[in-house]
Amino acid sequence: MSETSYSVLGVFETPDALMQAIPKVRASQLGTVEAYTPYAIHGIEEALGLRRSPLGGMVLVMGILGAITALGFQYWISAVDYPIITGGKGAGSWEAFIPIMFEVTVLFATFTAGLGMLFLLNKLPFFGHPVLSSKSIKGITRDRYVLALEAEDEAFDSEAATRTLRDAGAIEVEALPAPDRSPFLTSDYILRTLGGIFAACVVAGLAMYFATKWFPLLKPMANMQDQPRLNAQKPSTFFKDGHGMQQPVPGTVARGYLPTATGTQEEAAALVNPLPRTREVFATGRKAYTNRCEVCHGAVGNGVGSLTAAYGAKPANLQAQQFRDYPDGKIYWAIVNGKNSMPSHAPYLSEPERWAVVHYVRALQRAQNAKDEDLKVATR
Amino acid sequence: MKLDAATSAGDIPEGLVEPSLYVGKVTAGSLDDQVLAFPETKPPRQWYFALAITLTAALIGVISIGYTFYLGIGAWGNTSPVFWAFDIINFVFWVGIGHAGTLISAILFLFRKRWRNAIARFAEAMTIFAVICAVIFPLIHVGRPWLAYWLFPYPNQRALWTNFRSPLLWDVFAVNTYFSVSAMFWYLGLIPDIASMRDRTTSQLRKVIYTVLAMGWRGAATHWQHYEKAYLLLAGLATGLVLSVHSVVSFDFATSVVPGWHMTIFPPYFVAGAIFAGFAMVVMVLVVVRETMQLKNLITMRHLDVMNKVILAMSCIMGYSYMMEGFTAWYSMNEYLHHAFMNIITGTYGWAGWVTISCNILIPQILWFKKARTSYFWMVLVAIGVTIGMWFERFVIIVISLHQDFLPSAWRIYKPTMVDFGVLLGTFGIFFTLVLLFARVLPVIATTEVKAILPDAQPSHHGDDHHV
Repeated sequence: MSETSYSVLGVFETPDALMQAIPKVRASQLGTVEAYTPYAIHGIEEALGLRRSPLGGMVLVMGILGAITALGFQYWISAVDYPIITGGKGAGSWEAFIPIMFEVTVLFATFTAGLGMLFLLNKLPFFGHPVLSSKSIKGITRDRYVLALEAEDEAFDSEAATRTLRDAGAIEVEALPAPDRSPFLTSDYILRTLGGIFAACVVAGLAMYFATKWFPLLKPMANMQDQPRLNAQKPSTFFKDGHGMQQPVPGTVARGYLPTATGTQEEAAALVNPLPRTREVFATGRKAYTNRCEVCHGAVGNGVGSLTAAYGAKPANLQAQQFRDYPDGKIYWAIVNGKNSMPSHAPYLSEPERWAVVHYVRALQRAQNAKDEDLKVATR
Repeated sequence: MKLDAATSAGDIPEGLVEPSLYVGKVTAGSLDDQVLAFPETKPPRQWYFALAITLTAALIGVISIGYTFYLGIGAWGNTSPVFWAFDIINFVFWVGIGHAGTLISAILFLFRKRWRNAIARFAEAMTIFAVICAVIFPLIHVGRPWLAYWLFPYPNQRALWTNFRSPLLWDVFAVNTYFSVSAMFWYLGLIPDIASMRDRTTSQLRKVIYTVLAMGWRGAATHWQHYEKAYLLLAGLATGLVLSVHSVVSFDFATSVVPGWHMTIFPPYFVAGAIFAGFAMVVMVLVVVRETMQLKNLITMRHLDVMNKVILAMSCIMGYSYMMEGFTAWYSMNEYLHHAFMNIITGTYGWAGWVTISCNILIPQILWFKKARTSYFWMVLVAIGVTIGMWFERFVIIVISLHQDFLPSAWRIYKPTMVDFGVLLGTFGIFFTLVLLFARVLPVIATTEVKAILPDAQPSHHGDDHHV
């Protein structure tokens, strides 16, 4: 037994022998008593006087923390940062968060239990413990039960410890040197690690370079990319004529565009304006007239619009007696089909808008030729 | 492993004493020599033969997946209205297989069923391999697997977040939690065994590998104390977890409005089905393992007998669930639900419904007889039947419900393609390849846990018996 002994191991053959030896060895008060066994022995915590494992409390705290984290995270995302209404519930309805809360609680709790046990409480991994390089370790992890007296200070008396263990019934005794607690992160180790990382980066970089150089760009999931759809500036592969959009069948009538004024203007004279003379209709008519008619026919319909001079044409003076005598249908016909230099406005004005314009033109005509009675009506 | 071995003393009436959990003389040392020596011996020729078969199957799967990646999901049979087909069937099937492992390692641990100790390690390993097979499917199913990380809520330049009210996102959390917790549970259980292997190996390379994996485990009483506590806590947490995972998987269906899916019975029904399928797979594998690895003295007929009893119980629960499905369809007076149920027994896929019912409910009834429970022929027949039946059950739930829902104009018959079958075969190949590799490189029986329940493994007078 050399002076540098750190601990003394006594080997026992049965758990009973081990348990009976513990009180005797503890009574010697030579050092810390520790047991090494192939599996957990019942009642050994009390015999060795170990404190209760604090793991339960740690797991409880971390589990609650997991639940709060999950609830807070989900609430902040779903109600604050990116509110989504799902299934008609409010953005802050929390009931649907419960499954993920449960999973995160379990995740936090289990990782605290597993990793907390390994890293925090048992301080593993630790490869430098003298027991690991002892002769007894083969027995410890197989079928031997070992009691150790470990030094608490410099004054550890390993010979007395050996005697105590022998007296307690150990069949073998072994003295161990102090544990190797040399720092893990030596400069040599750091240098080699960094070198290894650098070499790995170089290899990975070269591999990527040649992989992309030698292999052409493969398109994964090709039929998700190349669907039979119309691509911009490309002919359609679906229709024979290569057009993406096909002409409607001849005679197709769009909704709201019933052909009502296809004959001559004289034939259209019989048409009756279907719209009532309401404030909304006049507003629609005024807007459509301002947008489409005013530049030529003028704000009051007198044929002097802002474009008249530049255009060199002579738009109809709608205030003229000829047009004041027109039935509604003939004005409508002119809007739909155009007349002389005037183009058709059918593509720009919907059916109700055309009739609304007719109403508005009538209103302009009446306003420009107002009688005293009209004034009385207006000012009443 | 902390279960009290000394209770067989005289204070228990005759007949209540548990029969022995192993055959012949087993000591801590002989256990190590029997179980831990495996990884050090050269595998027999049959092992290479089996590996060649499973690797071939895995290769077919890899080729099928590669073809899917090359062409797209169009390589599969999924089409409107059956957008969920083989991929989701196989996902639910494999996740279910995994549940037996967690049940054995966690729930039976809490119930102090000592027979679990010898089979827990293998079942846990199968859990992990099954979940690996399961996650392959949703990953490809999303269509652009290289963007699968979008499933996780992380701050991104698109300023988008995931929808936490979607059961599909719950699935992401449940399956990921399940996998990481199962893997950790398994690894923690392995540490003391790997330490044993580290201290008995003579090969220098193995020594280095085992040393790193065992993290310097030295069996100190202070360590065991925390270890036991951690194991108990993990078992408790994993129990809740295993029940939640398949419940969450069932929410994918139950929270939708599709007739045949929208049912409150789904969570317990899915969990029972998962355990059912998982136990069948464990029985199948254990029969092969105990025969080929000479573990008959440790994995005894009694283990298989008890496992078969669990299968029988689960089969009865499944039968009840199927009847409740029919009852709900009738009692709800909902014509859509009624139609969905009648489709199962009389529709185009009615044969699948009858395969499910006969494999899951009728065939396992043979296990009422002890002769069948202890006969390889019957138990393997039932196990294969249950595996087929449970796969078809998911087919029934998914395809039959989807192919005819509310809109008759959208009804269509679903046909899987060869690629679908290739991927399914491939996952079986991957699963059994991993099982075979595991059987050769790691201890297939948790020696530490079995040592703790041998006679005289615990001190005869250790005061009060409040330890777990």
